[in-house]
Amino acid sequence: MSYELEEEEFTSKVNRRIVLRMLAQVRPYWHWAVGFLAMIAGTSLSDSYFTYLGKQIIDEAILKGDQARLVQLLTRYGGLAVAQALTVFGFIYMAGVLGERVQYDLRKKLFNHLQELWFSYFDKTPVGWIMSRVTSDSGRISELVTWGMIDIVWAALNITTSVIFMMTINWRLSLIVVSIVPVMIALAFWFRQRILVQYREVRKLNSVITGFYNESISGVRVVKALVRERRNLDDFRQKSSGMYKAAYRAAWLSALFLPIVQIVGALGTGAVVWYGGLQIEVAGLTVGGLQAFLSYLMFMMWPIQDMARVYAEMQRSVASAERVFALIDATPDVVDCEGAFDPGNISGEIEFDHVGFRYEENKDVLIDLSLHVAPGEHIAVVGPTGGGKSTIVNLICRFYEPTDGTIRIDGIDYTSLTQRALQSRIGVVLQTPHLFSGSVMDNIRYGRLDATDEEVETAARMAHAHEFIVELDKGYAEEVGEGGSLLSVGQKQLISIARAMLADPDILILDEATSSVDTLTEAHLQRGMEAVMKGRTSFVIAHRLSTIKSADRILVIESGRIAEMGTHRELIQAHGHYYELYTRQFRRDRERAYGVTQGVPAASGAAPASAG
Amino acid sequence: MSHRKTYDPQERLTLDLKSTLSDSRVVGLFRLMHGFRWLYFGALTAVALGALVRTYYYKLLQYVVDDVIGSPEVLSRLPLAAATFVGLAVAEGLFAYLRSTWSARTAEGITLRLRDYLLDHIQRLPFSFHDYVKTGELIQRATSDVDAVRRFYADQALGIGRILSLFVVNFTMLMSMNPRLAWTSIAVMPLIVGTSYFFFGRVSRAYKAFQKQEAKLSTALQENLTGVRVVRAFARQSYEIEKFESENLEKYRRGRRLTSMHALYWPVSDVMCAAQTILAMAVGATMALRSEITTGTYMAAMGMVMWIIWPMRNMGRLIVNVSTGLVSYQRVAEMIREDREDVESGSVPMDTAIRGAVVFEDVTFAYEPQSVLKETKPRSKGRKPKTDREQSEMSAQADTSADALAEPVEVLHGITFRCEPGQLVALLGSTGSGKTSIINLLLRFYDHQSGTITLDGVPLGEYPRAMLRRNIGIVEQEPFLFSRSIGENIAYGSQREVSEEEIEEAAKAAAIHDIILTFPEGYNTIVGEKGVTLSGGQRQRVAIARALLKGPRILILDDATSSVDTETEDQIQRALGRLMVGRTTFLVAHRIQTVMSADLILVLDKGTIVQSGTHEELVQQDGFYRDIFDIQSRIEEEVRHEVEVE
Repeated sequence: MSYELEEEEFTSKVNRRIVLRMLAQVRPYWHWAVGFLAMIAGTSLSDSYFTYLGKQIIDEAILKGDQARLVQLLTRYGGLAVAQALTVFGFIYMAGVLGERVQYDLRKKLFNHLQELWFSYFDKTPVGWIMSRVTSDSGRISELVTWGMIDIVWAALNITTSVIFMMTINWRLSLIVVSIVPVMIALAFWFRQRILVQYREVRKLNSVITGFYNESISGVRVVKALVRERRNLDDFRQKSSGMYKAAYRAAWLSALFLPIVQIVGALGTGAVVWYGGLQIEVAGLTVGGLQAFLSYLMFMMWPIQDMARVYAEMQRSVASAERVFALIDATPDVVDCEGAFDPGNISGEIEFDHVGFRYEENKDVLIDLSLHVAPGEHIAVVGPTGGGKSTIVNLICRFYEPTDGTIRIDGIDYTSLTQRALQSRIGVVLQTPHLFSGSVMDNIRYGRLDATDEEVETAARMAHAHEFIVELDKGYAEEVGEGGSLLSVGQKQLISIARAMLADPDILILDEATSSVDTLTEAHLQRGMEAVMKGRTSFVIAHRLSTIKSADRILVIESGRIAEMGTHRELIQAHGHYYELYTRQFRRDRERAYGVTQGVPAASGAAPASAG
Repeated sequence: MSHRKTYDPQERLTLDLKSTLSDSRVVGLFRLMHGFRWLYFGALTAVALGALVRTYYYKLLQYVVDDVIGSPEVLSRLPLAAATFVGLAVAEGLFAYLRSTWSARTAEGITLRLRDYLLDHIQRLPFSFHDYVKTGELIQRATSDVDAVRRFYADQALGIGRILSLFVVNFTMLMSMNPRLAWTSIAVMPLIVGTSYFFFGRVSRAYKAFQKQEAKLSTALQENLTGVRVVRAFARQSYEIEKFESENLEKYRRGRRLTSMHALYWPVSDVMCAAQTILAMAVGATMALRSEITTGTYMAAMGMVMWIIWPMRNMGRLIVNVSTGLVSYQRVAEMIREDREDVESGSVPMDTAIRGAVVFEDVTFAYEPQSVLKETKPRSKGRKPKTDREQSEMSAQADTSADALAEPVEVLHGITFRCEPGQLVALLGSTGSGKTSIINLLLRFYDHQSGTITLDGVPLGEYPRAMLRRNIGIVEQEPFLFSRSIGENIAYGSQREVSEEEIEEAAKAAAIHDIILTFPEGYNTIVGEKGVTLSGGQRQRVAIARALLKGPRILILDDATSSVDTETEDQIQRALGRLMVGRTTFLVAHRIQTVMSADLILVLDKGTIVQSGTHEELVQQDGFYRDIFDIQSRIEEEVRHEVEVE
C-alpha cells in the first residue's frame, strides 16, 4: 500500500490549449452547456431582481400607501420565485448530468485506450498512477467544465448585475463601492494562497500519519518485542503535532480572512450609509433604494471572496487535465503493421532467429538466442531467477517484441500477423495467477466466453480443480473475491490452468504455473497435462524440476543465453548446471515430502495458503 | 501570534481517554472535550454573540430609516450611524475570528490527543486483539473515523449552534418588535426543516449507493490493470471494455439520480423559503401601510426573517452528518474500550540481571479468541484472523474459518523442559507443532493457562513484560523493517542513544555492512517503498544487527535459510554464530543439519514434546528424531540413485 502523495504540483500558468481541450469534452453536448449557462444566468438575474422588488415594495407601496401596488408587487415576487425555482432546477440538473456524462465519456475513452496500450507502458507506470488519472483526475475535468463554469458565470453576472443595478439607483454611491472591490480581490488572493499551502501540508502530513499507523500495526510484534512503545509514541507525536500546527494555522488564516474582507466591505457600506443618508436629504435616493444598495453590496462580496478558491480549483483541474491528456496521447509502441493478417489455425512451429531483447538501453536480458521448436514439441525452460525465462514467455506471447532478430511462427515473422490473432491461439498460465472478481465459473469461462457449463467443468476436471471447487460452499458459483483473494494461491493456479485449457490453444505456455500447488495434486495434474499437451507446442517454465523430466527438450537459461540444452537424461549425464540444480532441488523436495523441513507434507491434500 | 502556541506534549496525554467513555455517545463526546470545554463554550458563545451583532445591523437600519433620515438632526446623527455600522462589522468580525480559532483549537486539540492516544493504544493492545482485527479496519478507525469526530466539533456542532442561535436571536428580536409579525415569519419553517431532514436522509443513502458504485468501478479498473497480461493473453479486450462499460454506465445512472434529487430539493426549498418571505412581506408591508409599524421596522424585520429561514435549509444536512459522526465516535470509543497489555507491573525490579535459565513445567496453552470491535461498517465481512506468518501455527490447527475460532484451541499440552544459562535449545517440528507458541509464551506475548514457566527460578508472570522483552532478542524468519533509514532500523531496538560507530559495528558483525555501503545513501538509505527493497537474506541480517545492538541475555532465532542461496546462508550462519555466544538461545529449526550442535533438542509434534535430548542421545533412541535423521540419509541415497539411474 502506498501512501505516496498524489502529485499536487501544478503548472502555475493556466495553459490555454489545455483549457480549450477540456472544453472540447463538452462539445457533443453543447446544447446542455448552453442550457445550464442560460439557467444560471436566469438564476442570477432573478436574484438581482428580487432585491429590486424589495426596493419597489418600500418605495412604491409602503411609503406611498398603495395597497394595490403591494399586491401587484408581491404577486410578481411570487411568480419570479417560481420562475427562479425552474432555473435552479435547470442548472443543477443540466450541469450535474452533463458532469456525469463527461466523466463517463472520459473514463470510457481512457479505459478503451488502456486496452490498446503496450506492455512497456504498464511496466513503466504504476497501477496507482493510472488509477488516479481515470478516477479522480477525470472527475476534476468534468467538475471544471460544469460547476467551475457555473462559478465563473455566476460570479461575473452577480458582480455586473449588482453594479448595473447600483448604478441605476445612484451612480455616485456605486463609485464608492467599485473602489473597494480591488482591495477585496487582492486580500482574497493573498489569504487563499497561504491557506492552500497549509492545507497541502495537512494532506501531506495526513498520509504520513496514516503510514505511521500502518507500520505500527503491521510491525506491532517488533514494536512489542523491542519495547519501543514509548519512543515510537515520541516519534509519532512530532508528526501529529506538526499536523496540529498546520491544521490550526489553516484555520487561523481562514478565521482572519473572512472578518477582514467583511470589515473592508463594511467600510464601504458605512460610507454608503453615511453618504447615502445625506443623498436622501439632498438628492433623489429613496429609503428602499438605500436598502437595495446594501443588499447588492452583499451580493457582490460573495463571489469576490470565492474567486480565489475558484481560481485555485481551476489550476488543479488544468493540471489534472494535463495528466489525463498525457495518458490519452500515449501511443502504443506496437501497432499492427499495414497488411497484418490472421492466419487462422497455426501448427505451432516457433523459431527464434538470433533474438535479443532489452527492457532498458544497455541492459540486455536475452542475447542472440536461436531456437527452433517443431510443432507439438514440449520445451521446458529452467534457470536462475532473472536469467531471462519469463522474457522468453513475454516474447512468444508478443507482450513485447524482440529488440534484435526475428521470431517466426509457422515460418512467418510474427510482427506481420495481427496481435489478436496470435494471442488468441496461445494459452498462457502465468506465475502469479490473476483472477477477476466473479464466480469460479466466470473465471474459467474467461478462456472461452461461449463455453457451456459442461465444458467449463471438463476443463476444471482436467486441471484437477474440480475436486476443490465442488467442496466450496456454492461450488462453481462461489465468488472468488477481488483478485481471487478468497482462494489460496494454489487454487488460483489450478483455476487459471483450467481457464487456459478451456481456451483450447495451439501453443500452451506454463510459467511456473503450479509453484503453489501441493505435490500430490501436482503429480495428478502432471498426468492430465501430458494428455492435454499432446499435439500442441508447449513451453513449461518449471519451479519443480521433477515435473519436466518428460519434456522433449530442456533449456537452461542463464544470463540471457542458453547455457545448456537437451533431454533430462542428456543433461544429467553432462553433470553441468542442470545436474546441480536438479540434485539440489531433488534433495529439498524429498525433505519437504518427508516433513523434515517446514512445509506442507505431501500427505495433506489441501493446497498451502502461500508459498514458502 | 496565538497560533504558535502548542500544548505541552506530556500534558496532552495526561488524560486517560478510557475515563471519558460512557454508554451514551453524546455524554462520551462531551467528556472527550475534557480540558477544552471552556474554550469550546467560548466558541459557542462567540457564535451566539455573532448572531446577535448581525441582528443589530437591522436595528441600526431601522434607526437610520425611522429616526435619522428626514429628521432635523440628520447631519449630526448620520456619521454616528455610519460609525456604528463599521463598529458592528468589527465586532462581528471579532466574534467570527474567536469562533473559528477557538473551535479549531478545540477540534484539532481533541483530535491530536485522540491520534496520539490511539497510536499508543494500538501498540499496547495485546496480540489477542491484533490477531483478530484487520490492519485496514484499525487504520480506518484511527484516521477517517477520527476525522469524522473532528468534523463533529469543528463543523457540525458549531453549525447547529449557529443556526439555532440565529433563530433564537432573530425570533426574540422580532417578538419584541411585533409578535404577530414574528409568528407569521416562522409559519412555514417546520415544513422547511422537515423537508430538509427528509431530503438529506434520502440523499445520504443515494450518495452511499453512488460511492459504492464508484468503488466498484475502481475495482474493475484495478483488476483490469493488474490482470493486463491475462486480458491480453486471452485477447479479451472487447469483453473487458463491455464489463467496464456496464459499471461505468451504472455509475452514470446513479450520479444522475443523485443530481436529480438535488435538482429537485433546492428549488422546492427555495420556493418554500420564498413563500415564507412573501408571507412575511405581505403581513409586514400591510402593517406598515396601515402605519401599525414604521417603515424602518418593516425593513429590519424583513432582514431578520431572511436569517431565520435560509440557514434552516441546511439543518437537515447537519443532523444527518451528526448521526454519521456519532457512529464514527462509537467506532473510535470501541477501540479505546479495549484493554491494554500491562507492560510495567511485576515484582521483579527492572534492573535485575538475567542469567537465562528457563524452565517450562507442564505448560498448557490455548489461543483464546476475543470478540472485539462490534461496530463494523456493513461492507466489512466477518472477522478472520490475519493470515500472517505468525498466525500460521494457530491457523494450521484451528481451521481458518471464522466459526472454528469461536472456541479456544489448545496448541500446547504439558510442555516440560529446562535449560541452563548460555545453552542452545533447538525446537524442531513441522508447521503447527507449537514452536512459535513456545516463543510467544517466553516473550509473554500471550499468557499460558496452566503449568509454570520460570526464568532464573522466578515465575515468568513476576517479570514486567517490558523488562522481559528488553532482555530477549528475536530474529524472525521474515523480519519486519520500518520505512526508516537502515541505520535507524538497526538502532531501533536499543533503549539508549547509540553512536554511528556502534551501528556500523553491529552491521559488520551481521555481515551486512558492505552491502549497506553499496546503497546510494549508505546507512541513511530508506528501507521499503520509498527507498531500497532488501532481499530476504539482507533483511534478516539487518535484523541480526538490530538484535546484536540490543544486547539481549536470551536470544530467539527463527532460522530460515532455506530460501537463500548457499553463500548467503553461510554468511547468515556465521553472523548468527557470533550473536549466540554466551547467550541462552532458542533456535526454531527447520532443518536437521542446524540442530546437531544444540545442547538440548526438543522435538515437537502437535503441541507436545515427543522427544528431547542432545543429537547424540536422540539418534540412539527409536523415534521421530531418528526417523528424520534416517530420512535425511535416505534422501542423500535417493539423490544419488535418482541421478545415477538416468
